[in-house]
Amino acid sequence: MSSRYRIGIDIGGTFTDIVVFDKEIGDFKLVKKISTTPADPSRAVIEALRGFSRDILDSVEFIIHATTIATNALLGQEGLELPRTALITTKGFRDILEIGRQRRPELYNLFFERPKSLIPRHYRFEIDERMNHNGDIIKGINIMDLDKIVERLIKHDIKSVAVSLLHSYANPEHEKIIENELIRRIKSIYISVSHKVDPEHREFERTSTTVINAVLMPIVTRYLRNLEKKINNLTRTKIFIMQSSGGIESIGNASRLPVSIIESGPASGVMATKYLLEIIGRSDALSFDMGGTTAKAGAVINFQPIITTEYEVGGKVHVGRIIKGSGYPIRFPFIDLAEVSAGGGSIIWVDEGGALRVGPISAGAEPGPACYGKGGEKPTITDAHLILGRLNKKYLLDGDLKIYFDLAKESFRKNIYNLVNLDPVEAAIGALKIANSLMSKIMRIVSVERGINPSDLILVAFGGAGPMHACSLAEELNMKEILIPRSPGLFSAIGLLSVDFKHTLIKSIRKTIDSLSFDELENIFRRLEETGKKILLSEGISKENMIFNRFIDARYLGQGYELIIPANGINSENYAYLISNRFHNAHERKYGYSLVDEKVEVVNARLDVIGLINKPKLRLMRTRKNKAIEPFAKREAYFESIDEFIEVPVFKRIQLSPGVKLNGPVIIEQYDSTIIVEEDWQLIVDNYGNLLITKQSGDN
Amino acid sequence: MMDIITMEIIRGSLEYTAEEMGIALRNSAYSTNIKERMDHSCAIFDNKGRLITQAEHIPVHLGAMPLAVKSIIKDVEDFNEGDYIIFNDPYYGGTHLPDITLVTPFFYNGELLGFLANRAHHSDIGGKIPGSMPGDAIEIFEEGLIIPPIKLIKRGILNRDVLKLILSNSRTPKIRKGDIMAQIAANNIGLDRLKKLVSKFGTKRFMESIEAVLNYSERRMRKAISKIPSKTVYAEDYLDDSGIVNKPIKIAVEVKVKKTELIFDFSKSDAEVDGSINAPFAVTLSASYFVLRSITDPTIPANDGTYRPLKVITKKGTVVDSTFPRAVAGGNVETSQRIVDVLFKAFSEILPDKVPAASQGTMNNIVIGGIDPRTGEQYTFYETIGGGFGARKGKDGVDGVHSNMTNTMNTPIEEIEKRYPIMILKYELRKNSGGLGKWRGGLGIIRAYKILGDGMLSVLGDRHKFKPWGLFGGKPGFSGRYYIIRNGREIMLRSKCSVKLLKGDIVVIETPGGGGYGDPVERDIELIRKDVLEEKYDKDFIRIALGIELD
Repeated sequence: MSSRYRIGIDIGGTFTDIVVFDKEIGDFKLVKKISTTPADPSRAVIEALRGFSRDILDSVEFIIHATTIATNALLGQEGLELPRTALITTKGFRDILEIGRQRRPELYNLFFERPKSLIPRHYRFEIDERMNHNGDIIKGINIMDLDKIVERLIKHDIKSVAVSLLHSYANPEHEKIIENELIRRIKSIYISVSHKVDPEHREFERTSTTVINAVLMPIVTRYLRNLEKKINNLTRTKIFIMQSSGGIESIGNASRLPVSIIESGPASGVMATKYLLEIIGRSDALSFDMGGTTAKAGAVINFQPIITTEYEVGGKVHVGRIIKGSGYPIRFPFIDLAEVSAGGGSIIWVDEGGALRVGPISAGAEPGPACYGKGGEKPTITDAHLILGRLNKKYLLDGDLKIYFDLAKESFRKNIYNLVNLDPVEAAIGALKIANSLMSKIMRIVSVERGINPSDLILVAFGGAGPMHACSLAEELNMKEILIPRSPGLFSAIGLLSVDFKHTLIKSIRKTIDSLSFDELENIFRRLEETGKKILLSEGISKENMIFNRFIDARYLGQGYELIIPANGINSENYAYLISNRFHNAHERKYGYSLVDEKVEVVNARLDVIGLINKPKLRLMRTRKNKAIEPFAKREAYFESIDEFIEVPVFKRIQLSPGVKLNGPVIIEQYDSTIIVEEDWQLIVDNYGNLLITKQSGDN
Repeated sequence: MMDIITMEIIRGSLEYTAEEMGIALRNSAYSTNIKERMDHSCAIFDNKGRLITQAEHIPVHLGAMPLAVKSIIKDVEDFNEGDYIIFNDPYYGGTHLPDITLVTPFFYNGELLGFLANRAHHSDIGGKIPGSMPGDAIEIFEEGLIIPPIKLIKRGILNRDVLKLILSNSRTPKIRKGDIMAQIAANNIGLDRLKKLVSKFGTKRFMESIEAVLNYSERRMRKAISKIPSKTVYAEDYLDDSGIVNKPIKIAVEVKVKKTELIFDFSKSDAEVDGSINAPFAVTLSASYFVLRSITDPTIPANDGTYRPLKVITKKGTVVDSTFPRAVAGGNVETSQRIVDVLFKAFSEILPDKVPAASQGTMNNIVIGGIDPRTGEQYTFYETIGGGFGARKGKDGVDGVHSNMTNTMNTPIEEIEKRYPIMILKYELRKNSGGLGKWRGGLGIIRAYKILGDGMLSVLGDRHKFKPWGLFGGKPGFSGRYYIIRNGREIMLRSKCSVKLLKGDIVVIETPGGGGYGDPVERDIELIRKDVLEEKYDKDFIRIALGIELD
């Protein structure tokens, strides 16, 4: 079987995006956006695949899939009822899961609630045993307790079990005994043990992560096996799953570690940015994705997305930040994203005090913005763009979606003018400013707050609405360059096609650097590499395509947080000096100071295990020199840089072949997006069809 | 025409700036207290010292920050660009000595436009015991170093002598220095952002927008208050004792709702006492602000305007407005909780649907210190423990959580056991402790510490004698219990005391449960069944309390 095509499938909340890449011509064979079928997300996929020609289905190299199934299950979506799950833990500590960090998520809400405990108290079983932080056994495990627990697991028809004992990161022996006994005594039960899922210290985070894994295992396994079976009926190919960390893994590994795939969709947007950077030969970017309901920002530095290990599924977000304690905490690698409820569908409204506000409520796909004429009565960001002439006044999606200008105007008149005496144009201008102000904050969170200067980055703007705000946002952050990919609305799905296999393996150490010998550390890393090799081999990666990147999680002795520092290329002579030095420098960079006299504690050894896949090569397009293009229309539109309405040329994206240069103010329309180029910005089309928009200095 | 839009953008930017200051402070701080427990706040003020925005993690800093800046404006003669004023004096708008505040004037083109301030809880500022929060102090001098408002940095030049003096008064000078530097970094971030903001909008529009922001919040707050029935209600509640004198201490309030105005009058509260539970006025104000915001609309941006419709009246020399040189460490952590309780009690007669029954009403401050037998070095371990949250109309209280004036995190057990000669034997919800009711109170927590070397224990808690009350027929939650198990025998402890510990002692802290709401007879039997099934209540306890026999 040939392997000419690579397929990416991104199932989101509203839409399922499918892209088929033809490796021979180096371009997309087809791209599809269809409605998601929430009850059985595989249905939409299979229907779409059925429509593909035999020629494609017979020569698929592999399929890469991003899914929201895990998040949906935890958020209580219908049809995804959580399985009956139990926890086995050390005697005296079964409530660690429920007490958490003892904080309440909202300070002033007297009616707050914790997210419902994933395992009720009577399914949290205690076993008499105890380790200390060195892994010494203080009290041996009581097998009699285990007999009773097994009995109850069977009696209550428990489907999945999480095992999390105190200090198991230091010595997993007791967890292993329990795991083996469970396997031996109970048929067909799913088991998640904490030293395998998240082998780090801090008991609540480890237990929570293990429990979430246990709860998801039956659902995710069933879903992936079912999808695999159905797809294999149409085309016999491998399916790989996108992880929140921006790597892929086999269906088998995703089923064992479903905590790894929680945010696979948003991760693919950032990975698409990384891919684009590699193609154009740039190393650092700010990735900005603005869709219908939310905007997301992430950073790629030196071709690598920034990773965080703290996340809460289903948590509430306040201007870009997850509110601690509002969701289910997971400690696992995630691409670091900041999010705000601002998108094309965000509703513009006037609050009780008479202030103009944007979001967080969105008109969503139904009823949608007022101008869609689907019954939406409230003005949205899309309506604001329309009022200001920035969107096509008659249609969108190349004519697939009719637009009603008068309905947009009416919505502003009714909901804004009648309350605060701002006419529709004033209100629309104000709303865009407020939305930009909100979105510039999430961009600052992933750059300025991480010690990165945004003016050193190129802004990659995508999602249907991203390219409309890119220039204004770049101005806010003092960024000089913007890149708009060819299909901004499908860009995330494209990101799926270029991702390597990735796994992160961790071994807890917790020793000061002067009491940890080089040999000891080297042995730990070697063992982790052996494990990594086995995992990659099982995924079909050959040895020459394996890469191992070593890191150390370190902190000053007594601190509460670790920094992840690279630990490649260290030998026995300079080891302690080099590690300490790298840590001091990292601390200085991130926090503005270092304490060279303090002891450095090595908390974990961390190994990124990477299996390279070949990247699809994009076709270069020929540059046409000095080819003048004519606008297909002209219209009056408001530009923030000019602060008034002005007649501007409007072009179609397909007119923009490589080499074309345009000066703002100008508008470009395409199927899945509209691009606004403000005054003092110049657009150049590169050889891949991307738009590079640069700020012109004053004398140009 | 663009006024309300400019206002919204400036308001949002200032709010974000305060948050960003907080993140800079947390990131660059050295101590776990700031880094992990997030015991700090940042705020921005205009040139009259009026609060424009505040990012706080702990409500107890709410009212104290505005008072602090106001008193600094009165006290400091001349502000210059590059001045950083440091202070912690509770009798100058401070809260208690470990809370150190740093204020920086903000100049633009030579004109004073405002102030940036941040406050952080330092884990030791000297005094008679590590942690600077002795439960048995009488005078503030026992609690640590008092810093009046002084310029730590004058016109951009650090006064090293002042810094040296402060550091040499702490048991952990290196960590103090790191944290103070972090506080400077936070204000610097604020200065930078404010400069950019004003240069974008111009001084005039900036100042006008601030005025508009304050009026906007006032308007929304008055509107919210106007929905509260006009009424006058009196309520009182008690603290166990002062830790020195074994006698209950009364906190009393008269709440008056007058159309769009509120008056909280605490004049009938008991006189200040020997002991540390005296609250300086700033603490009482913070607790009052907390209640105001939580019973109205927490989404109203908190600033000077928000608080204009509220008048807080106290009598000098009472436990809610103590005078120099009374000790105050417990006022901040314990009395503040009782002030909230008594206000909620009063409001339960005005807004019965909006107020919860009493929550645990204490922070359970635990300090264990001594020599670590593993290293021979001195250690101090400090933490606070959550308890039951009061039941609400339509909802049970929350189990095992911090309530009202605090929200700090616990310390991971796997961290404690490595760092201190302490082994945690138990950390669990306290069965049956939530007051029964149509909606039940949240459960308290049991935490047990085994001490692996000789040491000292200092506890600062409350609600051992006066249980967290229920509302409208709801039963009270269990009171707190602290005790030591030594050689198999229980030694009961008072809620505020310091005692010697012997190797092998087990310290058990049982925290109070929340009060119930509504008559327990009306509780849905299915909910009772669920409580028993989930092993949060015993069958026998339910039978005795409610006369219900469950199978």
